[in-house]
Amino acid sequence: MTLTATGVRAERPTTTRRRGGGYAGYAFLAPVLLYVVVFFGYPLVANLVMSAQDYTVRSFYTGEAPFVGFANYAAVLANPLFTTAVLNTVLFTVGSIAFQFGIGLALAVFFSGRFLGSATLRSLLLLPWLLPLVVSGAVWRWMFDQDHGVLNAVLRLVDAPVPWLTSTEWALPAVVITNIWIGIPFNLVVLHGGLKAIPPTLYEAAELDGASGWQRFRFVTWPLLRPVTGIVLMLGLVYTIKVFDVIMVVTGGGPANATQTLTTWSYALSFRDFAFGQGAAVGNLLILVATAFGLLYLRSLRATLAEAAS
Amino acid sequence: MRHARTVAGVLIVAVLLFPLYWMVNASLQPSGALLKPSPDWFPVAGTLDGYRKALSTQGGHLLSSVLIALGTVVVSLAIAAPASYALAQLKVRGGTSIVFALLIVQMIPGIVMANSLYTVFGNLGLIDSYLGLVLADSTATIPFAVLLLRAFMVSIPRELSEASRVDGAGHWRTFFSIIVPVSRNAMVTAGLFSFLFAWADFLFAVTLTTGQAFQPITVGIYRFVGNQSADWNGVMATAVLASVPAAVLLVIAQRFVVAGLTSGAVKD
Amino acid sequence: MSATKRGWTLSMTALTALALTACAPTPAPGGGSDAVATTITELDYYADEQGSAAWQKILDACSKQTGITIERQTVPTAQMLPKVLQGASSKTLPHLLFTDNPTLQQVAATGALTPLTDYGIATDGYYESIIKAGTYQDKVYGLAPGVNGLALMYNKDLLTAAGVQPPTTWDELKAAATKLSGSGKYGLAFSALPSEEGTWQFLPFFWSNGADLAQLDSAKSAEALKYVTDLVNSGAASKSVVNWSQNDVADQFVAGNAAMMVNGSWNLARLDAEKALKYGVVPIPVPKAGGKPTVALGGEVGAIPATGGGTQQAAGKVLSCILTEPTMVEWSKAHAYVPSKVDVAKKFGEQIPAMQAFIDEVGTARSRTAELGEKYPKVSAALAAALQSTLTGQQPAEQALAQAQQASGS
Repeated sequence: MTLTATGVRAERPTTTRRRGGGYAGYAFLAPVLLYVVVFFGYPLVANLVMSAQDYTVRSFYTGEAPFVGFANYAAVLANPLFTTAVLNTVLFTVGSIAFQFGIGLALAVFFSGRFLGSATLRSLLLLPWLLPLVVSGAVWRWMFDQDHGVLNAVLRLVDAPVPWLTSTEWALPAVVITNIWIGIPFNLVVLHGGLKAIPPTLYEAAELDGASGWQRFRFVTWPLLRPVTGIVLMLGLVYTIKVFDVIMVVTGGGPANATQTLTTWSYALSFRDFAFGQGAAVGNLLILVATAFGLLYLRSLRATLAEAAS
Repeated sequence: MRHARTVAGVLIVAVLLFPLYWMVNASLQPSGALLKPSPDWFPVAGTLDGYRKALSTQGGHLLSSVLIALGTVVVSLAIAAPASYALAQLKVRGGTSIVFALLIVQMIPGIVMANSLYTVFGNLGLIDSYLGLVLADSTATIPFAVLLLRAFMVSIPRELSEASRVDGAGHWRTFFSIIVPVSRNAMVTAGLFSFLFAWADFLFAVTLTTGQAFQPITVGIYRFVGNQSADWNGVMATAVLASVPAAVLLVIAQRFVVAGLTSGAVKD
Repeated sequence: MSATKRGWTLSMTALTALALTACAPTPAPGGGSDAVATTITELDYYADEQGSAAWQKILDACSKQTGITIERQTVPTAQMLPKVLQGASSKTLPHLLFTDNPTLQQVAATGALTPLTDYGIATDGYYESIIKAGTYQDKVYGLAPGVNGLALMYNKDLLTAAGVQPPTTWDELKAAATKLSGSGKYGLAFSALPSEEGTWQFLPFFWSNGADLAQLDSAKSAEALKYVTDLVNSGAASKSVVNWSQNDVADQFVAGNAAMMVNGSWNLARLDAEKALKYGVVPIPVPKAGGKPTVALGGEVGAIPATGGGTQQAAGKVLSCILTEPTMVEWSKAHAYVPSKVDVAKKFGEQIPAMQAFIDEVGTARSRTAELGEKYPKVSAALAAALQSTLTGQQPAEQALAQAQQASGS
C-alpha cells in the first residue's frame, strides 16, 4: 500500500527490476541472515532438544540427559497449573495490548499536533521505558501497597480501597496496569512515527471536503496507519507474552499463582523445580503460539502486498 | 485559550508520569520512608545521601551503559536497514519466510538466549567485553528494527528508487542516497528503541559480565538491592541519575523526527 | 520454490555446524598441574554495599595470608543458580563458591563439587546442623564461616505503650499482636512469598510445632498453618505478607507499621542505624511454654568445585583461612551472623549481647536439606504454595496441605 493513493501509478520497466533485484536483495539480507543463524540458531535448537530430554541439574555438568520424547509436554499439559497459566497469559496479554495500543494511539494523535511543548512532552512520555525494571517494579509495588500505597490513599477518598497485590482477583489487574504503563512509550513512538508519515496534504484535502476530526481520523489516519498498526500489534503481542521481569518484581507469580503466566511458569519449572525439560517445553509452546499469530500477520501482509501489486 | 492543548498535555504527562515523580520523591527521602502511615508527598525532610552514594559509585557504570547502548544502535541499524530495504522494496524470494523467522526468534525466552550466548561467547572470548554485550543486545533489537523499518519502507513509493535506478545508480547508491534519508523518521525510531532496549537490559548484562571489567547501570544498581538489605534511597537516586543522560539523548533524537515522508521527493 | 529450499538447507547446515562447534566446551583451566595456583576466582551473592564491603575485607585478609589473589564475582541472589549452571555446562565454574544451603545441595547433586576433606578441612567443633547443611550423600562439600537464623524483633516503645510483654508462646504472640494492631498498623509482620523466602519464614512455626517436611499434610502441620493464617485473618498481621520480602518486612518495621517482625540477624546493623527506633530481640515464640524454637539454618556455605588440581588446592587454602576462628568472628561481627563453631559462638555471644537470642536458636536450628537433600526445593515450593493458597483464602489449610503433599511427594 503506497501513499500515492490519490495519484496514478507510473509505468514501470519490469525487466531492469527483475534482473537486479534478486542478487542485490540477498546481499542486503546477508548480514541479518548470518546474525539470525549464528545467534538464534543454537538456542532455538537447544531449547527444542532440551524439551525432549529429562534435563536435570546434573545434566548441566555431565552433559547427559536421557531422551524422553513427548513426556515433558504431556507432564506440562497434565499439570493443573497449565490452565491457570494459559488463562492468566491470555488475560494479561489482551488487557495489556488493548490499553497500551489504545492509550498509545490516543497520545500519539494528541501529541502529533503542533503546539507549545508537544515535542518535549512527547519525549518525556518515553521515560517509563528508560527505568530498570527493578526500579519501576519497586515504585509500583509501593503504590499498590494495600495499607500505605498512594493508589489506595486516593481511592480511600471515594471509600473504595482495593487489595491490589494481596488478593487473587486484583493481582493480575495490578500487573496489567504496571505493564500498560511500561508499554505505552513503545506504542506511542511507533504510532507517532506512522502518523508523521501521513502527508498533511491529505488532511487538508479532507478538511476542505468538510470532514470532522473523527471522520478525518477514521478515513485518513486509520487506513494509512494500517501497516504500522499491524507491526505494533504483532510485536506488542510477542513482547507481552514474553514479559517476565515486570511480573516477577511486582508479584513473583503470586499470590497463589494468580499472576503466573506461561513465561513465568516456564522459568519456575526450570529454576525452582529444576525440571528444565518441562520449562523448555512450555517455552516451545509459547513459540508455537507466536508462530500461529505470526502466520496470521503474514496472511494480512500478503493481502496488503497483493493489493499493492494489483 | 490559546495554549489549551499545552495545558492538557502537561496534565496528561503529569498523571502518566506520576510514578516517576514518586521515584524522585523516594530518591530524596531515607529508605522506606514512603511506607510511613502518611508518606510525604513532597520530600520535606529531604536527604541528598542517595545522590552522593550514587554519584560516587555509579559514574563508571553509566558510561558503560551509554557506550553499550550507542554501540547497539550502530550495529542494529547497520544490519537491519539494508535488510528492511530488501524485504520492503526489492523482490526477494523467501522474503515472507524471513519476516516470519524474525518474528519467531524473538519468542525465544530470555534466559535460554542468555545461556546459549554465555556458552558461545565463552568459546569466543567475548565475556566481559563491550563488543560481546553489543552483539548480545543486538539480538534483541535487530529483529525488531528490521520489522519496524520494513513496515515504514513498504510505504516508500517505488518511483523514488526507480527514478534513481533509471539514472544509472546501483542498488547500494540508491539505498544510501535515497532510501536512508527518506526513512530518517523510521531509522530514528528504530535507533531510539535499540538504545532503550540496550539501556534497560539486565539479563544479558549480568550473564555476560563478571564484574571484573565493567558493569552497565542495570547491574550496578544491585549494589543497593541485596538479598539482605535494600537501600531504596540509593536505588532511586541511581535511577534518577541514570535517566538524565538517556532522557537528554531522547529529546535530541526526537528533534530529528521530520514531518512528512515524501514531501518534495516526488512530484504529485 | 527451489531457491528457498536451497536457502533453508544451507541455513540448517550452517546452523547444525554452528551448534556442534558451540557445544564443544573449552578445556577446564588449570587441569593437570598440581602446583598450587596463585589466582582463583570466587563467586558469591553479597551484592549489596554493606555485605559486599564486609566480605571483601574477609577475602582481602585471607588473600594476604595465603598469598593467593582472589578474583571476585558478585551476582544478585536470583542470578546465582543460573550463573552456576552456566559455569557447570561450559566447564568454567568458579574455583571457590559461596552459596546458600539449598543451592549447595543442587550443585553437589551435579557432581561438580569436591569433598572438603581433600583439603584437610575438618568438621570438629561445628554445630551439627551446619555440617548437615553442607553434607550431600554423607560427604561434606561445604562449610559456612557464619550462619544466621530468624528471631522475633519488637519495637520497645510500641510494646511499652500498649503494656505488652515480649511474647514467648503462640498464645502470647497472638494476644500481643492483636493488641498492637489497629488504625492501619499491625502487631506482626513476616514474609509469606511464594518462594523459598516464604517457606524459610514459615519453617520456625512449622518445625516448632513438631511437623516434618516429609509429611506436609500432618495434623501438626495443619495446626501451624492455621495459626499463621489466623494471625492474618484476625488482623494481627497485614494481608500484604503474601507480597512482602524480608526486606519489605524490615521496611515496614522501621516505618512503624508493624510492632513486631520475624526477621533475621542481618537486619541488626540497619536497626542500629535508626536512631529513633529502640528494638529488642527474643527467640521466636513456641507453641507451648517451655519448648525450644526450631528455626531453619541460613548463611552461606563455601564449596570447592572440581576445576583442576592447582586451583582446587589454592581454593582449599583460602577456604581454610576463612574458616579460622578470628576470620569467623570478624565476618560474623561485620554481617551480624553467628559463628558456626559452638565455642566460638558462645564467646561471641558474651561479646555482643544483642546476638544472644540468635545464638540460642542456632543450637536447636535445623538444616532445611538434612532429610530431603536435593529434593528440598520441590517440597519447599509446595509448602510455600500451600501457605499462599491458605492466606489468600483459596483453600482451607488441610486441603492446601494435602495438595502440597501430593505435589511434593511424587
